[in-house]
Amino acid sequence: MLNLFWHELRSRFGAILGWGIGLALFGAMNIAIWPEVGEQIQSMAELSIVLMLGMDLGSFAGYVASAVIGYIPLILGIYAIIASTGTLAGEEDDGTLELIVAAPLSRWQIVTVKAIALGISAFLIIVIAGLGNALTLEAIRGLIEVDVTPAEFFVVTLSAWPITVAFIMMGLFLGAYLPSRRTAALTMTVIFIVSYFGLLTVRFAETLEPLAALSLFNYFDFTATAFTEGLQAQDVGILLGVALIFFVLALLSFRRRNVTVGAWPWQRARLSG
Amino acid sequence: MAYTFSNPLAKKATMSGAIVETQGLTVYYGKHRGIIDVDLSIDEGEVFGFLGPNGAGKTTTQRVLMDVIRPTKGRASIFGLDCHKDGVTIRKRIGYLPGELSLYPSMRGRNFLHMIGSLQEKEVEPSYRQELYQRLDIDPSRRMKEYSHGNKQKIGVVAAFMGKPDLLVLDEPTGGLDPLIQQVVMELVREARDDGRTVFFSSHVLPEVQAVCDRVGIIREGRLVKTERVEILTRRQFKRLHLSFRQLPPADAFAIQGVSETGREDLTVMLEVREGIHQVLEKAIPYGIEDIETPHITLEEIFLAFYGRENQGGNRA
Repeated sequence: MLNLFWHELRSRFGAILGWGIGLALFGAMNIAIWPEVGEQIQSMAELSIVLMLGMDLGSFAGYVASAVIGYIPLILGIYAIIASTGTLAGEEDDGTLELIVAAPLSRWQIVTVKAIALGISAFLIIVIAGLGNALTLEAIRGLIEVDVTPAEFFVVTLSAWPITVAFIMMGLFLGAYLPSRRTAALTMTVIFIVSYFGLLTVRFAETLEPLAALSLFNYFDFTATAFTEGLQAQDVGILLGVALIFFVLALLSFRRRNVTVGAWPWQRARLSG
Repeated sequence: MAYTFSNPLAKKATMSGAIVETQGLTVYYGKHRGIIDVDLSIDEGEVFGFLGPNGAGKTTTQRVLMDVIRPTKGRASIFGLDCHKDGVTIRKRIGYLPGELSLYPSMRGRNFLHMIGSLQEKEVEPSYRQELYQRLDIDPSRRMKEYSHGNKQKIGVVAAFMGKPDLLVLDEPTGGLDPLIQQVVMELVREARDDGRTVFFSSHVLPEVQAVCDRVGIIREGRLVKTERVEILTRRQFKRLHLSFRQLPPADAFAIQGVSETGREDLTVMLEVREGIHQVLEKAIPYGIEDIETPHITLEEIFLAFYGRENQGGNRA
């Protein structure tokens, strides 16, 4: 089983480096412009479009929380959709899953190994991004006075992991439940978009505010309070709880799945065992 | 038998006689038929050939045995254990080669084999794996995406055989291989049998089935229509008689139930006789029999007799 795990992790090595370095460069660019355009950015803090996007541009901490850390789960959402639906569902579509399922491993072991590898890959991507952010901040600290230390920046960057892993587990479940990668990716994309833009919308209408609880982004802080108040254990708990629920659902779905068949759930319901 | 089991589970299977057993095995894909009421029994140490056209249900049956798909009803057991409930225990002792082999493109052949080997019960002997590389003429250091279809198939063959498993489940093992390598695979199957191991082997290549299989099962439209020892099947299914006469009998001379005339050539009448051989001879004697030939019947001819050429090809595997 350890060999399968290493294979899973090794096969994601390129993605980890690519997404990690990409995010680090994205962060570096946004951080590096602060000394030059910081005042300009702060002057935009009260613009309605900025408020509508839920951004906090009133301080350096608010700016990097919104413009750097806030985008990490949004960008990694794409990775989550690609990687999670590519696992199980994608492998089934490609035909590579048959030999793994036919190996002396139980279905729960296969799902667990793949889920752990996915979770670790997302963590490593965020670690690379966090290191990039911290190093860039360290590089510009001499030029400006900022209210954030590189260490704090690194830690707050890691707060993007729980929401990312929640989306990854959702995708893993959809891949184990729906008949093909295409349907899983499509469903996941719709949920992701509705979750993000739906939250921005409902925050503007008081009557819709209760719906905010349905969006995973509701539990991810991308304002300056992420630095001042630190990680909210309750939010992290909710996100990891959601991840766990989807992981269990993925386990149950895959345990019953007829691999290589690409059947809809109601077709699988006819099967015994 | 030279081979002895050390696993107590194997003793259980030996006591019941059959290594592979299915009862009323049925699989439906939604409304579509996979297999229906398949009762199959494969004994320890035999090579069992599974014959049938595309879509007949060969792959479905093998996938149920490997617990890749689950039956709609019926049960399947291997080594006396349930294929679903005890799947992990069972699969430690099986070498499986799927019919539609897909391998991780960026993985090297050696790494893939190492991963598969590490999951099997018996430790893979490096010298035997090396021998397989040489006999199959495959370089395992390359990435899967660099291999041709045939070379990927060779990697699959190595994966199935390298652990010397107690049971080999092979779905079209020679597909995509050149004739020389096909012969090597058949040798490996024979060696497995000589070693006391069991092989469940589906194929379209009837001569190779005939060459290595002890018994065959013929599956048609999801139903197992015949299971027989190869030599009995080829001997008993029907006999071919080529009768040469001094005087040619009339066209309806052999219009007997169970007898069909397949052709005439000069003074020779060619018959396929399923029953009533004595009636054929009684009818033939008055015309002066000069010679009697009983040409060998191949498995392919029997297979075609079961299906008819018009049924070749078809739906889903």
